[in-house]
Amino acid sequence: MIEIENLSGGYSRVPVVENVSLHVEAGEFFGLLGPNGSGKTTLFKLMSGGLPVMDGKVLLNGDSVLDMNQMQRARHIAVLSQETNVSFDFTVEEIVQLGRYAFQKGIFKTLSPYDKELMEEVMKITSVTKYRHTSFHMLSGGEKQRVLLAKALVQEPEVLLLDEPTNHLDIKHTFDILDVLKKWQEERSLTIFAILHDLNIAALYCDRVGLLHEGALTNIGSVDVLRNKNKLAEIYGVETWSQPHPTLARPQLLMNPRKKEERSVSLFENCTVQQDEEAVSISFRQPLRTISNGVAGEGIQWIKHFANFHVDKNYDSWTPKDDVENWLDERGLPIEQSVGMMTAVKTEHAVVKREVLNGIAFLVVVTAGTGNAVDITHRETEIQREKIGTINTLVFADAHLTDGALVNACMSAAEAKVKALHDQEVRDPLSGSLATGTSTDSLVIGVTQQGERTSYAGSGTFIGRGIGYMVYEATTEALAVYRRWKEAHS
Amino acid sequence: MFSSKTWIYYSVSLLLLFGAVTFGLFYSSVTVPVSHILHIILEQTAGWGFLDDLPGNTTAIIWEIRLPRVLLALFVGASLALAGAAFQGLLRNPLADPFTIGVSSGAALGAVFVIFFQITIVGLGAFTLPAVSIVSGFITLMVVFGLVRLSSRSMAIETIILAGIITSAFIGSIVSLIISLGDQNEMTQIIYWLYGSVGMRGWSYVQLIVPFAVIGSLLLLTRYRELNALALGEEAAGHIGVNVQRGKVFILGGASLLTGAAVAVSGTIGFVGLVIPHLVRLVTGPDHRHVLPISMIVGGAFLISADILARTIIAPKELPIGVITALIGAPLFAVLLIRNRVGKGKAI
Repeated sequence: MIEIENLSGGYSRVPVVENVSLHVEAGEFFGLLGPNGSGKTTLFKLMSGGLPVMDGKVLLNGDSVLDMNQMQRARHIAVLSQETNVSFDFTVEEIVQLGRYAFQKGIFKTLSPYDKELMEEVMKITSVTKYRHTSFHMLSGGEKQRVLLAKALVQEPEVLLLDEPTNHLDIKHTFDILDVLKKWQEERSLTIFAILHDLNIAALYCDRVGLLHEGALTNIGSVDVLRNKNKLAEIYGVETWSQPHPTLARPQLLMNPRKKEERSVSLFENCTVQQDEEAVSISFRQPLRTISNGVAGEGIQWIKHFANFHVDKNYDSWTPKDDVENWLDERGLPIEQSVGMMTAVKTEHAVVKREVLNGIAFLVVVTAGTGNAVDITHRETEIQREKIGTINTLVFADAHLTDGALVNACMSAAEAKVKALHDQEVRDPLSGSLATGTSTDSLVIGVTQQGERTSYAGSGTFIGRGIGYMVYEATTEALAVYRRWKEAHS
Repeated sequence: MFSSKTWIYYSVSLLLLFGAVTFGLFYSSVTVPVSHILHIILEQTAGWGFLDDLPGNTTAIIWEIRLPRVLLALFVGASLALAGAAFQGLLRNPLADPFTIGVSSGAALGAVFVIFFQITIVGLGAFTLPAVSIVSGFITLMVVFGLVRLSSRSMAIETIILAGIITSAFIGSIVSLIISLGDQNEMTQIIYWLYGSVGMRGWSYVQLIVPFAVIGSLLLLTRYRELNALALGEEAAGHIGVNVQRGKVFILGGASLLTGAAVAVSGTIGFVGLVIPHLVRLVTGPDHRHVLPISMIVGGAFLISADILARTIIAPKELPIGVITALIGAPLFAVLLIRNRVGKGKAI
């Protein structure tokens, strides 16, 4: 489709863009990325005829773009730039109509019925039909950009060149523009060549990207190119962290500000534990890096408040998450900074243990009830409905763990819990075998992310051993409390 | 092809022009009945006179004095208004007109030069005056653009006006120099000429302006689509298929032709090119397809009316017509400038 061969060019005699070669497939969304001054705009202008080419070729379906006159080029290629000022009080419709300039025929150059039909369709897709008689100047930035997009699309281009088209737009308008483009790209197999400087936007929308560095195109490939931390550090001079998008198989980048956050409060100073008949809750002044399967606040997050709520043993709800969030709210805990879980065990019976092991401070809170004890290894055809007889384990430590180490810490805590259950001879009532847990156990691992960063938290590490010891001790004690209470009430 | 609204715009502006022409022919110190005027015109143009025994001096007044005067005002007004509309569209600048961007002064310098030194270029004859005016106007335009290029990257509205004023001032001093070299009589003559007038010119001046006005108008009127596209800026206009370089040459050439010819026959009449397209745009919207022709029609009507005022306000003496247009145009220019600063980014 587009074939760029050894393209060089620039403003004066020294080329800004040097020896760039690139192939873009028909119907592809290609993103040209690179820091300011890397030559993106120069390359773009060389392609759109805005700058003379010093050397090389730009071919569109085998025809040289550089040899086309403006009129011919406009029938194949449309351009949407970051900001266009329109002089005089033209209406939206008049602006859109300008896109048909290269197609108007006859002495009077009037719009054909086809032109009009196309304009209607494009204005509808870009949602500007309702502004058609409105002055362009009266529109907001996002609306203006949609009008200019409509003007570009009525050119019925095979190739659309975008120069940071969403530069000044807020999130909603950015996505509006790009979604329209993506739709048009898919329906009309439009080829899009876009300069984007928001790498995360590029990661979401591009089929392929190329990184331009000092006028040379490097690292052309899928958006996974952006996961190359070292390359991005070299080109942008910024440390980036690639994270998976939660619902799409695309990376998103996170950046670290150079100035590190000052956080040197120790675990115990930092926290307050509140235990009453409604809940046992632990709050930290500064958020902890947390992994959990809590009813609310699940996943890996930065969390300040952890609450384990008491519920009646006959509690049965289709909306447990809403309930927990309501309870968090009632206690004045901000939902987005909290993990919430529930148990039928009396929360006054929660075991809270603090200890420093091998220089690492630990705080562990366990509530244990074994009404629904299950041997997970037992072959059972019937899965028990969720009931509230659970072991909820909350482990907090003064450690600095990677995401992998957090998973490792979960394993350590689970192993210790199983050991405690076995030593207390808790059995699965259905199979009669030793139970490994209950049907609805919850776990929280929260770490302060202070000190040296470690990638492991298993039995081969002090942190892993500490978790194991603390969880075992607390679970054993909690089981004993539970048993005593049970005996007293039966 | 045209909406009913557009028909109304054209009808009203043509009616205005017709009214101005009629009034211009009719209204004067010597009253001549409309029927007589009609007879004279038909008699002179087609030999279809329907009245007998008109005094010879009436015929002379109408045919030799008033009609050429009205026609000259019509052509000059139409030329200046069209040139103004084109400059504004090309420079994306509602404050541009031949006067404010210095083309008029440049053309005037050329004209003063020809008049003062009694130059005749061989082969051009009487057309030496408009030809030199047009060329010197065009050169001045290039100088102004050069100044703008050197002083700022963008063709900013204020920069163009500023460069135009600087250039005008410089040219004005050269004109003054030339005038001061002459005697008292020549001085008065040139100064009066500089203020602009369409009076006492006769048919020869009408003949001078017509060919340039026709060619210049054709050059500009056929460029309305390019002028519309240029509202997006030169780069974006190129992206939709406009050959911007060629378009610019046509538009600047056409506008310079119109301005130079108008200045050559009538002196520097300011603000017509500023006020008329602006008013027209307010009514019709910015589409150059209609702004250009309607500006021509209204510009013609406006200058005929201004001329009627110029010769009647302090009759039997005459005011220079440029005084009238400046009295109307300068305050409006100020208003536009202020609005432009206040509503930055908004089109006027």
